[in-house]
Amino acid sequence: MDVWFHNEITYPFVPQDVLDRADSVRGSLPNRYCDPRVAAELFEECLDEFLLCDEVGLNVVAIEHHAGINSLLGANPLLLGILARQTRKARVLSLGTLISLRPDPVRVAEEYATADVISRGRLEIGFVKSGGSEMASNQANPINNVERYWEAIDLVTKALAHRDGPFSWEGKHFTHRHVNIWPPPYQQPHPRMWAATGDPDTVAEVGRRGMVNVMVLRGADGAKRAWAAYRRAREEAALPKVGLDHFGYAALVYVGDTHEEGVRIGEKLLWFLNTSLKSAPQYSRFLPGATPPEAAPAVYRSQPRPAPPAGDGNGKRVVSAFTNAATLIGVTAEQAMQRGILFAGSPDTLYRQIVDFHDTVGGFGHLVMVGRSGFLTHAEAERGIKLFAKEVLPRLREIAPVPVS
Amino acid sequence: MTVTSSGRERLSVADLDLEVVRQGAGRPLLLLHGFQTVAPDAPFLDLLGRHAEIIAPSHPGFGDSPRPADFETVYDLVHLYLELLETLRHETVSLMGLSFGGWLAAEIAVKAGARIDRLVLVDALGIKISDPETPDILDVFNAHPREVVRASWHAPKKWAPRYDDMPDDQLVRVARARDALCLYGWHPYMHNPRLRRWLGRIRRPALVVWGASDGVVKPSYGEAYSKLIPGSRFALIPGAGHHPEIEQPRAFADCVGAFLDE
Repeated sequence: MDVWFHNEITYPFVPQDVLDRADSVRGSLPNRYCDPRVAAELFEECLDEFLLCDEVGLNVVAIEHHAGINSLLGANPLLLGILARQTRKARVLSLGTLISLRPDPVRVAEEYATADVISRGRLEIGFVKSGGSEMASNQANPINNVERYWEAIDLVTKALAHRDGPFSWEGKHFTHRHVNIWPPPYQQPHPRMWAATGDPDTVAEVGRRGMVNVMVLRGADGAKRAWAAYRRAREEAALPKVGLDHFGYAALVYVGDTHEEGVRIGEKLLWFLNTSLKSAPQYSRFLPGATPPEAAPAVYRSQPRPAPPAGDGNGKRVVSAFTNAATLIGVTAEQAMQRGILFAGSPDTLYRQIVDFHDTVGGFGHLVMVGRSGFLTHAEAERGIKLFAKEVLPRLREIAPVPVS
Repeated sequence: MTVTSSGRERLSVADLDLEVVRQGAGRPLLLLHGFQTVAPDAPFLDLLGRHAEIIAPSHPGFGDSPRPADFETVYDLVHLYLELLETLRHETVSLMGLSFGGWLAAEIAVKAGARIDRLVLVDALGIKISDPETPDILDVFNAHPREVVRASWHAPKKWAPRYDDMPDDQLVRVARARDALCLYGWHPYMHNPRLRRWLGRIRRPALVVWGASDGVVKPSYGEAYSKLIPGSRFALIPGAGHHPEIEQPRAFADCVGAFLDE
């Protein structure tokens, strides 16, 4: 199993009474609550943590979120450029430039190709569907977001892989009549591609394309459901089976010297769920397209009446990102550990939790560990990284990705 | 045409099977709805129906009107209704647009002046008036729902829809409308930057009606809109917000009816 260190670079320093009064802690919270000097310190610390990961054998993840306390990483390619140059061994996963929000995917392909060249082929490219307040922050139409997502991925892929001079793209959402990026990516024809999504329809397409599917904080049931959809889609398309290296799982992870210490410090990571997910109704339950209109009776009312679960017409239950987020706010450490959202403990107990979860969901080849969030300190993050790399990583590496039988 | 128990009928235009509300008798009045479809039992329909035969289709994607996958823009809507005008047996038709439908009506009147008898714009969207930092039209997608409610009604407590009390099928219609509106009107937000330049082509009698308390698009926007349409008149309806036809049905019907009867 490969392990990837993930840090949203959260900004937890807004006074709690301000957060309590705000409708939303993302999208609309005024940026006067973000002190750029404090942000500079945070970037300094977090970049050092990424470099420490590089030193001790962990891969690193660069994410993107906009306009909120949940992340200061509005500009993914900037972090990517720094990591590409300053790390030396780690693979660098962009997860990712929010592709359906960007007006020109060709520019994104240029950024990715350049980062891959600077890192001499250590880049991995991940795509995230985005949602909620990101639509407002980036003026992206939420209704056809998924269409733009796939068309942008097609165009980025073609731009990265094409070697024969300018080609033209006149698609539904993107037009670029003269595409010829320099430099091309270091890896041929292009870096491996990932997609972070939990909804079965999107996962099915991820499966047909053979991308790595990473499930973020979805628990065992969500992961099993999604990966079944991935495998079923490949089977239905008569495509060869893929190994466990095509599946990744992201959770909050912390290791301490003792189980008690690991849980006590790891619990701080729940800030990301309990505090930074608060989102105004226009970015969540009333976001156009977030749930099918047929689900409105369960979504629009303040006191939802019992209603049949929303379906996609094929009997599959659709769990939107909004619905998933709603179940995460207010979760306790015990619940989070039970659901496979938080793995925390001593090296032994943490290893056991991860292996149990791995076996429950039928295996996965990548663990994405969210190792710092909220008020978890720089010193705690670095201690956790070092201990994890020394005591847990070697054992997880022994879990080899095997072809799916 | 089939009549259903909901008071809505069907109307076939350009291969699309639209839901339609019909009311009244007389010269035809094509009514294009706003953020939500027209309720068949809305009192203003009955009152205005004494002056005209109202034909109020639900736009594709709204209510029970299907929206084909490749039907996605105001351009599509405008051409759908141009087609509808051509299929009606009348030489000319009066055209009334509410809010978002007012944008459509203005576009259609610019293009098909010869088919339009009279034009009525009610709290219409569709153009940009103010400077770049002043949004003319409240962002109903990015604003908090309670702000949208406050801006939409003169008396929100009395008129704002209460989702908790709505039957399921009504809530599905509300959600369907929100999705369709978002698709059509997201960007440029609820207007066509080129429309303003061509409003001078509207040479038919025009009435611009506005709810005096409209906070979605302010009366000053309506006055500016009216000035861009040669010879048009501007009328304020007191005690009404963005939906004067709902909050003040009698004053609204009197005002519009008198104009249609001229």
